[in-house]
Formats: sequence, structure tokens, C-alpha cells
Amino acid sequence: MNLHYVIKELYHQRRRTIISILGLSIGIALLVILNALSLAYHEAARAPLREVGADITVQRPGNVPEELAGAVFPCSAVTIRKDEIERIEKISGIRGMGKALLLWVFDQNRAWIVLGIEQDNPIGPSILRNFVTEGRYLEAGNPEAMVEAAYARQFGIRLGDAVSVAGREFPVVGIVDASHAAKIAVANLYLPLKEAQTLAEASKPLQSVSPFAPGDVNLLFIKADQEKITGVASALKGILGEKATIATPESFLKLLGSFFALSDKFTLAASLIAMLIAVLIAFKTMAGNIAERAREIGVLKAVGWTDRNVTVQLLGESVIQCFIAGLLGLIIAMVAAFALGFMTVNIPIPWEMSPTPHFLPGGGDPLFKTLRLPVHIPVTLAAFAVLLSVVIGGLTGALLGRHISRIKPSEVLRHE
Amino acid sequence: MNESAMLVGVNLTKTYGELDVVKGVSIAVKDGEFVALVGKSGCGKTTLLSLLSGLERPSRGQVMISGSEITNAAENDLALLRRDNVGFIFQSFNLIPTLSAWENVALPLFPIRMPKEERRRRATELLEKMEMGHRLEHLPSALSGGEKQRVAIARALINHPKIVFADEPIGNLDSSTGDAIMAILNRLHAEQGMTMLMVTHEPELAKTADRVIRMQDGEVLS
Repeated sequence: MNLHYVIKELYHQRRRTIISILGLSIGIALLVILNALSLAYHEAARAPLREVGADITVQRPGNVPEELAGAVFPCSAVTIRKDEIERIEKISGIRGMGKALLLWVFDQNRAWIVLGIEQDNPIGPSILRNFVTEGRYLEAGNPEAMVEAAYARQFGIRLGDAVSVAGREFPVVGIVDASHAAKIAVANLYLPLKEAQTLAEASKPLQSVSPFAPGDVNLLFIKADQEKITGVASALKGILGEKATIATPESFLKLLGSFFALSDKFTLAASLIAMLIAVLIAFKTMAGNIAERAREIGVLKAVGWTDRNVTVQLLGESVIQCFIAGLLGLIIAMVAAFALGFMTVNIPIPWEMSPTPHFLPGGGDPLFKTLRLPVHIPVTLAAFAVLLSVVIGGLTGALLGRHISRIKPSEVLRHE
Repeated sequence: MNESAMLVGVNLTKTYGELDVVKGVSIAVKDGEFVALVGKSGCGKTTLLSLLSGLERPSRGQVMISGSEITNAAENDLALLRRDNVGFIFQSFNLIPTLSAWENVALPLFPIRMPKEERRRRATELLEKMEMGHRLEHLPSALSGGEKQRVAIARALINHPKIVFADEPIGNLDSSTGDAIMAILNRLHAEQGMTMLMVTHEPELAKTADRVIRMQDGEVLS
């Protein structure tokens, strides 16, 4: 291949070169942006769970006791027994698990949402460690509490105060601003899991509707192999029953609405159609270009170029054109991705995962996790797009080059 | 046939459908000879040139260039044979519009591995001999008809051919430009002993050739 000849041909035939490049680059851009959007929605759907360091959250719905006094379970999260937890730990694909206990505590002068957490387990609400605004995070083995900043302001609770929860006193060692931390597994008061379990064990109203024994919890945070999440979710239902609330990235995706459903379902089909159109445009334009050059090809053959020389030359032109188209398509997609990155997406949080009692003011309001659509183009997608362009160029060039190289010089040079 | 002949065609026939365009023509061109093939338009002289130069295969008959039988050669072998042994000058010049003058001259050398500088040196040398040294970088669109044909002649000579086929080389030129081009061809023959077969429909042009072959209705008259 004579690169100099290739470049001069592409440069001097700018109009047809630009048409070929634009046609394919739009197809490549569509392919990249559709896939980037799909990835962005998948990424967004992971956000609520990622905030608590998990891929799956597990709850079991039940009944609220008739008497709302002391510590009770929300109806969306009742006892998950210790033996069930042990069976869950053995499910293939689970890489780690965090446990928590969510309680509603109705005391005489106020109601609390209390969350018992494993303070040192990175899977679960321990992300709160990064949002302590005053004091410190919970330490293992100490019966102490952290209070959510807005709640502390509302009720005038300060660092160093002692708060009474269901008849037990806890010193406040930290104030935590959970408003930016997460939308799920948030509470007014945070206790070590063991302390919350003691409150639950001692609560007669709670025991009356959902027996609770030492080691039991009502919230599980599970880290799982990405490719096994669906299988793990299915196994969890097998252990906890079909009514168990298993939240996965997939379940959040379903809540994202029709636009996502459309883009996700048809990403592959739309990508293929975009590419097919791009290939057809590229093929048709290049075929037209090459047909226009039949006389030139005849001259090349007359002066001693072999079929292979001609094919390789046209292949080179085609590959270089398509490579440029791939890069241009990628740039167009990057600009589009940048613009789409300003879009926000509201991910609905199911009411079962909202810790606030729905009968309290604001408790029934829809809860959303709002975030900017994380549109980015992975290196692998970018590389694939450019490689695909080159392959299209190679195939088109080889096919057309092989066809036109068989031309007989006398046929095109005869009629002067 | 003469064994010292550079080009030999034996009993050449070319048929398109029912039509015999060339009818059993035998011809020989000696090494260093300048032969003019003369006849009216449509008499088959360009087809005969195509058969003799390996651009086209005869329906019957044989062609030998420099002692090598080319009639049954594969397409690629024919291309290589043309590259190494044959130069072409066409009526319409047939320059590549996107390449400069020197690049057009070097076109037959593109598939050959050699430094670009060497290609350029050889092309420049030939263009200077054609008094085109000042037009090396010009595209064909910026050249006059006479200049284009000078470039085409240089291209025909770049591979040091054993024989040059010229098909109506001044057919698209005015008379004074045509005279200049003929002068170049005559000089090539006279000074370098170049073997040439020239097709023309103008008997006047053929007068400068060593030998004139006349064609009519696909047959050689003399």
C-alpha cells in the first residue's frame, strides 16, 4: 500500500471522503451513546445500594403490633432469624454480609427511628462514619448512640447528652448528618447492633407479632458477585419466602420507568440497526466512489499493478477512512455524553425501604434518590467502537477492492 | 517469425460476440524498430494494440514479448510483465487526477519497494528530459494537454520498458503541440533505440516511423 497515494486520494476527493466518514461516524456515535446511556442507567440504579456498600438488601414484611409503644418493627421489616441468616451466608455468590436492626421506638415524649448497626462492617450503614459532624463514630462494645443532625436540632439534643430510648439510657457520642449519606437505612438514632437487639428482645409488643431471639435482625446488606446477583436474589426468596423484599440493582432499574425500559431493552437492537445503517451508508458511498474510479483502476493495472496491489491500496483507503470515522464518532459520542451528563435521574425508593413510619407527617411522601446521570464512555466501549470501524473499513475495502481489482484495463481504457 | 523480434503476434483474432474485430493478424516488431499502425477509426488497430501489449487476450493466436509467450499468462503475471517490459501512452493521457506530475510518472513504481526519494529522483529526471522540471508538483488539472502528454510519456519510460505502445498519442492535441510530442517520441527512438508501436489514424504521422502497417476491417493490408 502506498500511504502517500492513500492520503492524497482522500484529501483531494474531500467531498466523497467526508460523506463516507460522516455516514459511518454518525452510526458509531449512535452505537456508543446508546450503550453509554444504558450503562449510565445501570450505574444509576446501583447508586441507592452502593451508598450502603451492598448489592442487595433484604427485608421481610410483617405486621405492626396493635399497641404502638416501646420498640416495634416497621411492617416492612420484621424478624430475619439467626438460622435463616446462617443459611443465607452459604448461598453461592455471596461475598459478604452486613446486618442491621431497624426499630420504631415510641416513647412518651417522642418517637424514634432507631437503627442498630455493625459499626465496623464495611457492608451496611457504616458509611455514616464519613458523615459525623460532631463528636465521633460508634466504638465497639460501648452502649452509646449517634443522633442524626436534623433530629438533634429539632429536639435540642447535644453531644454529651444522654438519651432515653425504650427505658434505656445512651450517651450521645456523635452527631451525624445522614441527609447526604443515603436514602435507605437512615434513622434518627444509631446504636450498636447488640444494643438494638437488646431493645427488641425486651419489647413485648414486638415479640407479640414477630418473635425475636438473640442474633436475629430485620435488615441484611449483601455484597455479591455481579453476575450472580439474580441467582442470589432467587435463593434468598427460597429461604425467606416469596413475600421477602429483595432489593437489587435490577429491581431499581424496573422502577426507573419507561424511558429506561425502552433504551435498555432496545439498546442492542438499536445499536445493531444504527451500525447496519452506518455500514450500508459507508458501503454505498465507497462503492460509488470506487465505481467512479474504474478508469483510474484500469490505468493502475495497465501500468503494472497486480490485483493484490489494487486491493491493498483500496483496502488501505477504506480502513483509514473508517478509522477516522470511528474517532470522529467517538468524539461526537463524547460530546453527547458530556451533555447528557447534565441530566438528572430520580430513582424511586420503594416505600418498604423508607425507614420513616408512613403514618407520620411526611412518612408517606415518595422518596427519591436524585443524581446526575453518570454517562461516561468506558475505554473498552471506545476501543470496541474504533475497532469495529476499522473492521467495517477492512471488510468493505477488501470486498470492493477485490471486486474492482478484477476489472480488465482494456474494458475501461478502450473507449477514449 | 524473426527470432530477434521484440514483439510477435501470430494469427491473432479477437471476437466480440459475433463480430470479428481482429481477423488472423500476424505481426512482428524488431528490437529498436518504430512501427506505425495506421487505419481508419474502427478498423481494429486499438484492439490489436491491446492484444499485443497484454491488456487483452486474443480469442485465438499467440503473443510474445521479448521472447516470452504471454497469451496464456495469468492476469497477475501479465500485470508484472507490463510493469517490467511495457510502457503505455494513451490518447487521453490517463493521469491520476489526485497525484502531482512527478507522482503520476512514478505510479508504476508505487507497488515496488524502494525509497520515496529514489522514485522521485527517477521521475524528476524523466520530467526534466521532457522539459517539465518546473511542473513537478502540479496536479494534472493545472497542466495543458501537451504537458499532460509529456507526463504520460515520462510515466511510460519510468520502468525502462523494452517496448512502448502509443495509442493515438497526439489525438487530443492541437497541431503544434502534437508536433512537439511526436518530436519527443522520434527523439526517444532515434537516440535511445526505443522499440515503439504507435497507433494512429493520420497517415502523415506515420511517415516518421521505420515501418507502416495498414489495417482495414480487422485485417492487415500491408
